[in-house]
Amino acid sequence: MEYQKITGWQKLPELSQLKDLTTPPKELYFAGQWQKEIFKNGVAVIGSRQMTEYGRRVIEKIIPQLVSQKQTIISGFMYGVDQYAHQICLESGGKTIAVLGWGINFKLEGFDLKLAERIIKNKGLLFSEWENQQPSHWTFPVRNRLVAALAKKIIVIEAAEKSGSLITVKIAAKLKREIWAVPGPITSRLSTGTNALIAVGKAKIYLGNLPSPQTNLNKKSAPLINLLESDVLTANEIARKLGQPVAQIGAQLSLLTLKGQLVEKEGKYYLKNVN
Amino acid sequence: MLIKIRSIANLGLETIPVDIEVDVASVGFPGFTIVGLPSKAIEEARERVKTAIVNSGFSFPPKKITVNLAPADLPKDSAAYDLPIAIGILAASGQLLTSSSDLQRMFFYGELSLDGTLRPTRGILLLALFAQKKPGSTIFVPHPSANEATVVSGIKIIPIKNLGVLVNHLKDKEMITPLNQTEIKEDIDSLLPDFDLSEIAGQEQAKRALIIAAAGGHNLLMWGPPGTGKTMLARTLPGILPPLSSTEALEVTRIYSVAGLINPGEAIVKRRPFRAPHHGISAAGMIGGGSHPLPGEVSLAHLGVLFLDEMPEFPRHVLESLRQPMEDGQVEVVRVASHIRYPASFSLIAAINPCPCGWLGHPRKECRCTPRQIARYHRRISGPILDRIDLCVAVAAVEVEKLALTNPKAIPKMTSKQAKIQVIKARALQNKRFANLPIYTNSQMRNKEVKKLCFLTPEAENLLKLAVEKYDFSARSYFRLIKVARTIADLENNKKITSIHMAEALQYKQVL
Repeated sequence: MEYQKITGWQKLPELSQLKDLTTPPKELYFAGQWQKEIFKNGVAVIGSRQMTEYGRRVIEKIIPQLVSQKQTIISGFMYGVDQYAHQICLESGGKTIAVLGWGINFKLEGFDLKLAERIIKNKGLLFSEWENQQPSHWTFPVRNRLVAALAKKIIVIEAAEKSGSLITVKIAAKLKREIWAVPGPITSRLSTGTNALIAVGKAKIYLGNLPSPQTNLNKKSAPLINLLESDVLTANEIARKLGQPVAQIGAQLSLLTLKGQLVEKEGKYYLKNVN
Repeated sequence: MLIKIRSIANLGLETIPVDIEVDVASVGFPGFTIVGLPSKAIEEARERVKTAIVNSGFSFPPKKITVNLAPADLPKDSAAYDLPIAIGILAASGQLLTSSSDLQRMFFYGELSLDGTLRPTRGILLLALFAQKKPGSTIFVPHPSANEATVVSGIKIIPIKNLGVLVNHLKDKEMITPLNQTEIKEDIDSLLPDFDLSEIAGQEQAKRALIIAAAGGHNLLMWGPPGTGKTMLARTLPGILPPLSSTEALEVTRIYSVAGLINPGEAIVKRRPFRAPHHGISAAGMIGGGSHPLPGEVSLAHLGVLFLDEMPEFPRHVLESLRQPMEDGQVEVVRVASHIRYPASFSLIAAINPCPCGWLGHPRKECRCTPRQIARYHRRISGPILDRIDLCVAVAAVEVEKLALTNPKAIPKMTSKQAKIQVIKARALQNKRFANLPIYTNSQMRNKEVKKLCFLTPEAENLLKLAVEKYDFSARSYFRLIKVARTIADLENNKKITSIHMAEALQYKQVL
């Protein structure tokens, strides 16, 4: 992948936010097309590597909203919440900046490579302060300070009690960035961090835009839709709750999924949010 | 004097006649030699035969004894020649007077123990089937495994407890009553399955998938965290498959007879086999092997179910060795000594965990695998194997309290017997459809037959097009989907595949 060094980044007005850092980066590298506008409305979407079903749905719900408000999604390109945020941003036609936790010249492969190519193709940027650095335990927290500095506001999707996302939040707080956290179930380990941020008042509750009412529902499958309005369920559970043979329910689920009203992930179904 | 006794050698499922020529010479140093490519087990027959003869109250002639196993170039490996050798020595030394013409129509087969009793010996059914081709034959076989032969008509079966009794019988002193023929009954309703479908709580979709798999002969992949009942579900499959027909039962019994796996006293294998090899198995154990190849797990699962639990844990080359049997319904084992073909037409049920730790997607437990680990785990099952698996179903963790045992809306659970009746009907439809073709089930259709024999309604076709676009199906998955939809339509006795059938088939698409 082709990359370039930014000479004298301190002089570029679009990167002035990085000067807020107590330890600003010495050098900066990027891959992709440089456009000033991309840095204008940066929002960092961060979270755990172990994304849950809930985290996935949150991303699917809020990223398209952010994109429609012409915000740039900034994240850390790690698997889990970060990569999913990049991915959904691209799917909804937005621009995204991936701040790498390793040198820009590090060879990517598999899904990582595909995603990186897609980001560049869609006029996004890959960003790093190193050229040939291998990923290591210390590089990720260091990378996090760039994520915090580049963004105007930060949304934490899912975070455990001790996690990299909370490091980003701490830095962002010092930099006086706006901090938002998505509340989660209090039983989930991966929401303890976000809920704690809200509880102690470090972050504001992020709820996204309120959903618009659904209209285009098929009458026959309405009970099924009603059931899924509040829950994520498997075909078995739906069949049991509606008291219908699983063969019929399965056929209905397939049809609704093909129509785009439902989403299926790992055997579980949920309503697609049409905003 | 020279005596010729008839017996057989089993090479795989083939039977080759073997003549045991015994010569007790009147001149020469006393000695006992066996020639004719004997294995170690046959070399040691000398000691067993000598001691058994003496312990049965006969005398072992102190003369030069030569035993030849003809044909001389066929390597022989079986302890079953003990009995013919012993009878040959007794006859050649004049302790057993029978005309040699009688011996022409007698087959001796069995392993001796030192006190002269006969031990269970494998391959009796094959001997009986061979003797059936020579009219008027009598077979002398060990009492413990003699029942195996009773399914074969047209021969006389003499069960032998020990050498002394046999000699008395041959001398016409005290006759042994031959065994009666048993008929193979096809009424196998009385056979209770190990596990009944109705015993399993929840997992309705997996059960439905099992019925479809049984009806269309499809292979099935179950996918879910540990402890969700994958093994138990797989165990119900033999109970919903149609009963073995008498020819099928005989075919299965032959394999089990060669492998020596028929329990003493049992005549015929009536149950569909269920084999669940552990993932430590070697390739030879899976497809058959040994210098004189014995049937492997794929052949022991012939006409039954082969269940591979934790499929990605099996060594790659073992999984790859399944490709030939899954394609051809038989397996060829080639060794220096021989080249053997065993039938191996089975339904494969594979169970895999969603990730190496097993908890991905579990409602309460947390998965700690990285995406890379998960991808690597799934890659262990190669594309060609996945291509041969038509159905894929998620077996999610069941939250026991949610099973709602007293749910008023609950539909009564289907029993294995009800499922079996559905399956038999669907299979009958398929038999009619494939009357002029060398295939029996929907899963065996090739693309050509799918195009010719599967009629889709326009709505079903539209739906299929939509699905192909949405999920980016390959041509192979496209045909796989139609085959599954065909089976679902068969279960409903529908000539055409409607959009509902197609939509249900989509539920079982592959996720890996």
